[in-house]
Amino acid sequence: MYKYLLCWRYLRTRYIALASIVSVMLGVATMIVVNSVMAGFAGKMRDRLHGVLADLIVESRSYEGFWNYEEVMARVKEVGGDDVVAMAPTMETPGMLRINRGGQAAESRLVQIIGVRPEDRAKVGDFAEYLFDQEGNRIPPSLEVTDAIRARSPAGRELKELESQPPDPFLESTREWLETRREEQVPIHGAFLGYALATYHPGDGRDDIFLAEMGSKIALAFPMQAKIPQTGADDFAVVGYFKSGMSEYDSTHVYVPLEELQRARNLIRPSDGKGSVNQVQIKVREGVDLDKLADKLQLAMEKLSPMFFHVWTWEEKQGPLLAAVAIEQSILNILLFLIIAVAGFGILAIFSMIVVEKTRDIGIMKALGATTGGVRNIFLGYGLLLGIVGSGVGMVGGLLFVRYINEIEKGLSLLLHHKVFDDSIYYFDQIPTLVETHTVVAIVIGALVIAVGASVWPARRAAKMHPVRALRFE
Amino acid sequence: MTSHIAAVGLRKSYRKGKIEVPVLQGVEIAAERGELVAVVGASGSGKSTMLHLLGLLDQPDAGEVTLDGRRIDDRPDRERDRMRNRTFGFIFQFYHLLPELSAVENVMMPHLIREGLFSYMRKRKTIRRDAHEMLERVGLGHRATHQPSEMSGGEIQRAAIARALVGRPEVLLADEPTGNLDAATGQGVLDLLRDLNRERSLTTILVTHDQQIAHQADRVVRLAEGRIEEWAPALV
Ligand SMILES: Nc1ncnc2c1ncn2[C@@H]1O[C@H](COP(=O)(O)OP(=O)(O)OP(=O)(O)O)[C@@H](O)[C@H]1O
Ligand SMILES: [Mg+2]
Repeated sequence: MYKYLLCWRYLRTRYIALASIVSVMLGVATMIVVNSVMAGFAGKMRDRLHGVLADLIVESRSYEGFWNYEEVMARVKEVGGDDVVAMAPTMETPGMLRINRGGQAAESRLVQIIGVRPEDRAKVGDFAEYLFDQEGNRIPPSLEVTDAIRARSPAGRELKELESQPPDPFLESTREWLETRREEQVPIHGAFLGYALATYHPGDGRDDIFLAEMGSKIALAFPMQAKIPQTGADDFAVVGYFKSGMSEYDSTHVYVPLEELQRARNLIRPSDGKGSVNQVQIKVREGVDLDKLADKLQLAMEKLSPMFFHVWTWEEKQGPLLAAVAIEQSILNILLFLIIAVAGFGILAIFSMIVVEKTRDIGIMKALGATTGGVRNIFLGYGLLLGIVGSGVGMVGGLLFVRYINEIEKGLSLLLHHKVFDDSIYYFDQIPTLVETHTVVAIVIGALVIAVGASVWPARRAAKMHPVRALRFE
Repeated sequence: MTSHIAAVGLRKSYRKGKIEVPVLQGVEIAAERGELVAVVGASGSGKSTMLHLLGLLDQPDAGEVTLDGRRIDDRPDRERDRMRNRTFGFIFQFYHLLPELSAVENVMMPHLIREGLFSYMRKRKTIRRDAHEMLERVGLGHRATHQPSEMSGGEIQRAAIARALVGRPEVLLADEPTGNLDAATGQGVLDLLRDLNRERSLTTILVTHDQQIAHQADRVVRLAEGRIEEWAPALV
């Protein structure tokens, strides 16, 4: 009984020990906040990665791709059955983008050109949710160059101004001239341009500047199928922007019509007029084990054409990125856990002090019949109590911080006159957080183990004290 | 008839570096049940050391301590802990209360150590009442909730006496229990010890420097040169 009483009294009367609690508390709170924010970011990132990529991708190892994609799709359907919800053939190739900015200025970028049938592509992922026009409104997944798009070209805008003028023969010829200019300015085929490719981000809350406005012409260069390596080029009109929030994609992806890309890359087979693709994107019913299905499909593909296809899950496709995030998180956790370990040494030092200070008390207790184990348990219990208080307060503090992180961010931004969390960098309007119960539990248990572990040595010293020597201690 | 508590051939020496300082060199002491034995001796003669050995706080280099004729100094730790708690009451020369606890909680300490959490919960009323009663008897009823830092030296000493007696020990080992008290209070404490000694037939070994106190004991022995000799106070 005396153990509990003394633990409790020590906790309430030794304020010096509270100092060591503070470091446990801060460590626990920091770990909870950092883990929640990182889990939030990672979760959001996975969502977006997954949104851009379909669940499963059957990919050919060669850039030229394969012509029998209908056969491939039929085989996928056969193997997957009802688990396969939708499929879309695509052709992906690296290339060069050139944006003309009036006069001599131009920008060239390395890009990933993706030939799609936009309606099909929209069915296998969140593709359609990432398409916007220049004003930031969502647009339907269509690469068609409409009159509305044409009207946004320089010649189109001049034509619009002429409309309000009264008819006269001179104007008529100007109009005809402008119409031909417009046809020259606006290519027949449309393209969705990655948002980060199309814009310049000035920061400081100013609006993004469009380098390639809607209706403007962009030029793409890409490898062509030929005996020797050779490049082809084609012009496209910007009909919208692809903005997924993953800068990796937004700064590389250019979506163009599949058939046009096949034609331009010389991938149409003369015998039957069929073009090739190098990917089949597959959407799978929710809850299906992707890895298992991928293995089954891989086997089926091997039968179709050995060593030619590779079946990826979206996670495998993004393996390095996801692995990097996981490594980052575990390294950060190790570092943060060291903070708590440092707190452990604080407890050890303060406890050793307290044990020396309590020498006579320990002598008295032993003289009154306290056992070695009992004396030890006083200090172990005290350590545990400190750990519970420290990690408890830290946990509550951390969870509250996570809960109000956006309000805190706003307050800090106001205080520092500087945006702490620049939402235009991440495209999140809020800091994403995700509190995982098992992480919180692990952190708290870890802190408790450290607190108790740090009190083992002082507790044993106290327990081993000789009663007479302790009583004679000055 | 065997003595209640007895020591035979007790030896104890302290080692200070290479020099061995012999303190007890074959102490023989015995007390019958209910007897009050006073021990006198010069400062540094080893009186406290002897009490520590009798009360199982330390182990002798040689010799034995017996209780009702059974040897107790070589028992396992657990049993010695138990006997310290139940059989012996100890009043230390450097009386000392636990500073985190109030006077009454300090007095409850032997019971707190004896009982586990649940048995304490069951008996807490009796335990508290006993402690209060004991404090009354040493004249500290009005100081029960005081912290040791709020008490005078004499009050602390009396609380320490109450603590030694509350667990109803069979043997009381008192190391100068009246050392810090004025003559009247000291006599009060001694009267209390005498009363208990009669009431409960509490065997008491009392170390003292005070002639007046020693006179009132059943028997007085003197510790000198590491040995006990019978001592007739009338001779002084
Ligand atoms: N740990 C120790 N190491 C060395 N010598 C010690 C130790 N403890 C006690 N002594 C010595 O043993 C002797 C006896 O000490 P003890 O405390 O028993 O004397 P005492 O008779 O109680 O004296 P007093 O009347 O002053 O209380 C003293 O000379 C003391 O210096
Ligand atoms: Mg002494």
